[in-house]
Amino acid sequence: MKMPRFSRKTLCIPYAVFLLFFVVIPMFVILFYAFTDREMHFSFMNFVRFFSDPTKLSTIVYSLVIALITTVVCILVAYPVAYILARSKMKKKFVILMLFVTPMWINFVLRVNAIRELFNWIGILGEANYFNTVFGMVYDFLPFMILPLYTTLQKIDVSLYEASADLGGNAFTAFTRITLPLSMPGIISGVTMVFLPSMTNYVVSDMLGNSKVTIIGKFIYEYFGTDWHMGSMVALVLLIVVFVSSLLSGGFKSEENVRGANL
Amino acid sequence: MKSKRIACVALAAAFLLPSLSLLCACDGGSADVVLRVYNWEEYIDEGGEGAFIYDELHLTDEETGEPVESDLVNDDYKQWYSDTMGVELSEDGPAILDDFCLWYEKTYGETIQVEYSTFGTNEDMYNEIVLGNEYDLLCPSDYMIMKLAAEDRLEKYDESFFDASKEENYYIRYVSPFIRGKFETNAGLETGENTPRWSEYAAGYMWGTTGFVYNPEHVEKEDLEQLGWNVFTNEAYRNRITAKDNVRDTYFAALGVTYQNDLLALDPASENYVETLTRYFNATDEKTVAEVEPTLMKIKKNIYSFETDTGKADMVSGKVWLNYAWSGDAVYALNLAESGEDENGESAASVELDYYVPKAGTNLWFDGWVMPKGANKKAAQAFVNFLSMPRNAVRNSYYIGYTSAIAGEDMLDYAKYLYEDEEAEDGDYYDLSYFFDGTVEGEASVFAGAEQRECRQLFAQYPSSDVISRSAVMDYYGEEANIRINELWSRVKAETLDAWAIIVICVSVLAIVAFAVFLKFGGKIDFFRRKPKKGYEIVKQDPVN
Repeated sequence: MKMPRFSRKTLCIPYAVFLLFFVVIPMFVILFYAFTDREMHFSFMNFVRFFSDPTKLSTIVYSLVIALITTVVCILVAYPVAYILARSKMKKKFVILMLFVTPMWINFVLRVNAIRELFNWIGILGEANYFNTVFGMVYDFLPFMILPLYTTLQKIDVSLYEASADLGGNAFTAFTRITLPLSMPGIISGVTMVFLPSMTNYVVSDMLGNSKVTIIGKFIYEYFGTDWHMGSMVALVLLIVVFVSSLLSGGFKSEENVRGANL
Repeated sequence: MKSKRIACVALAAAFLLPSLSLLCACDGGSADVVLRVYNWEEYIDEGGEGAFIYDELHLTDEETGEPVESDLVNDDYKQWYSDTMGVELSEDGPAILDDFCLWYEKTYGETIQVEYSTFGTNEDMYNEIVLGNEYDLLCPSDYMIMKLAAEDRLEKYDESFFDASKEENYYIRYVSPFIRGKFETNAGLETGENTPRWSEYAAGYMWGTTGFVYNPEHVEKEDLEQLGWNVFTNEAYRNRITAKDNVRDTYFAALGVTYQNDLLALDPASENYVETLTRYFNATDEKTVAEVEPTLMKIKKNIYSFETDTGKADMVSGKVWLNYAWSGDAVYALNLAESGEDENGESAASVELDYYVPKAGTNLWFDGWVMPKGANKKAAQAFVNFLSMPRNAVRNSYYIGYTSAIAGEDMLDYAKYLYEDEEAEDGDYYDLSYFFDGTVEGEASVFAGAEQRECRQLFAQYPSSDVISRSAVMDYYGEEANIRINELWSRVKAETLDAWAIIVICVSVLAIVAFAVFLKFGGKIDFFRRKPKKGYEIVKQDPVN
């Protein structure tokens, strides 16, 4: 029997169909709901209500700030780890890397619950809701920062450091002139993987912030219980924020292809 | 290669098929009738360990560990079971959905298949219905029944369903007169001539009140009675009390806090007391919302958490002292704390918890079975009737922990079995005639100790008629009011920054971004740099030449 020949284009069809039904069409549905009222007439009402309501704007700002702090803390923690792992000649560094990665294999609701129990035991649950939320986010998203950083740092050619030493550069210069610029793609992909989800991951804020911390994801969830139109508008605004921030981070990407997590 | 692929597909299918069949109770895809039931999660007896029949058949003596005969699941019960379902009662504890299939086939001579699915909130269920998912039977709460009925999405129950002279009409024969009365008068909510009556559209399933589960070690009952709803804002309980993470319940509580003095000033003996109370607890006009908002802010500041299900565990562990709860959850929390085990079955200290209902009035709620348009009415009504057999109602009540809308001898026996204490020194008769009258012969009361009558499981499960007379049902607010309440809720849940703070933060974020962009491109941006025209290329000069 003759096997039908697949061209590259035909191989794309399943994904294209998936994209159409689960990404493109839902986007239009959201757009439709965001700009209609309850009688399904075209309306800017939700748009006006969103931008005239200080609560919603504040929530966006709060989410941005929480996500920003989470990202910065993640970078500060992950960079040294990834750097040491990438530069060290340890034979067993794979094991250490795995130690950072294995928590990702456990369901994250379970992990957040475990942190909740831990905080409860220490006694800070309910006392510092914002701190707890950021802690949970950092814990949750740290591997997503370590992996791309490790991958890019590992790729840096050792001879570059030798050259910098030859030219009289000290360790600090080598870091600022070689390591940091060349690890930029890793930082960017780490930031996109941490910053965007931590704006919406309300499971963490609900469980560790005792539902007293509200981020934009929770808003969307709550509105979809009662008012799809407003919910769609919030989702749309978030979409735009996400789009703009990935556009910005895209500007920093170098021409090289960045491979994110290679595990 | 090809055989491998076939093997993969076969393997995938082998994994998928059983998971499909799991969704349907009663085997055999060729059933005459299919009944699609859409119910709350964990809201029906599922059989096996932890269900009524299994647990009663496997009772052991606490001291010797020897098996003990059950008082309720006795030979008479087994006889009833085999007469009703047509099979012997299995030791493994049958699930109620399977029993329904057996009973239906035996009674109506047709095989039936139940497609059972569950939802988490009334709003989720409503969205599914609006999106056009078809079911035969739903189990929404009071206000959602009103909304569905007002939107003309429901079928009425047949008149024959309410004919008590027919043996198979278990619902009308055994439903509590109290529930029936509430359903016939729409629980005293203001009704116009065209307002549909609940009783036409809904059959009661479970009901209860809301109140506070409290830890008597830390909270004095006298103090609680003094404060009433104000415990929510009282400094003494800062970070020791929880509220519900949903707008309707917490708004209700905030109304209680705000208008407590007015509510206490009402005369419970007056004719329109319940009506006035209900109006207070359903006020959603702009003035009320404005008055309730500061209360809600105070509540948020004072409470430990907004929760939906962590409150029970936090009560048992002693982390919080007061938990605003639905009565069924309260019974569960009280039992759990008493058992000396935590939710995961690990041993924990045994704690006594109590239940309290504010004197100023509380919420009375119902969940009921309704049939959406196009439902298979015959099968749906048969299902409701089957669940309304008092012995089946006992099974559900045991499994869920909530109070069934069904009365009858078996239900009263069950309440007595759980709570009656004939040797209690401070014992007295706890009058339940408001609930059981007409469905049982003789006095409907349970002889129990003062604790059970005043603040423990019996009181939570069957509130005293005094509590009942001071409770109000929550109405469906209507579209416009709903928006107002939701906006209020989002203002309460989220922190609202001042305008200047928003501007400062936005500007600083933009500044950081601009700085980063500047660092990256470092002045290299040249907007006027021309791109080479098509066809021309910049040829790099070789410096050697």
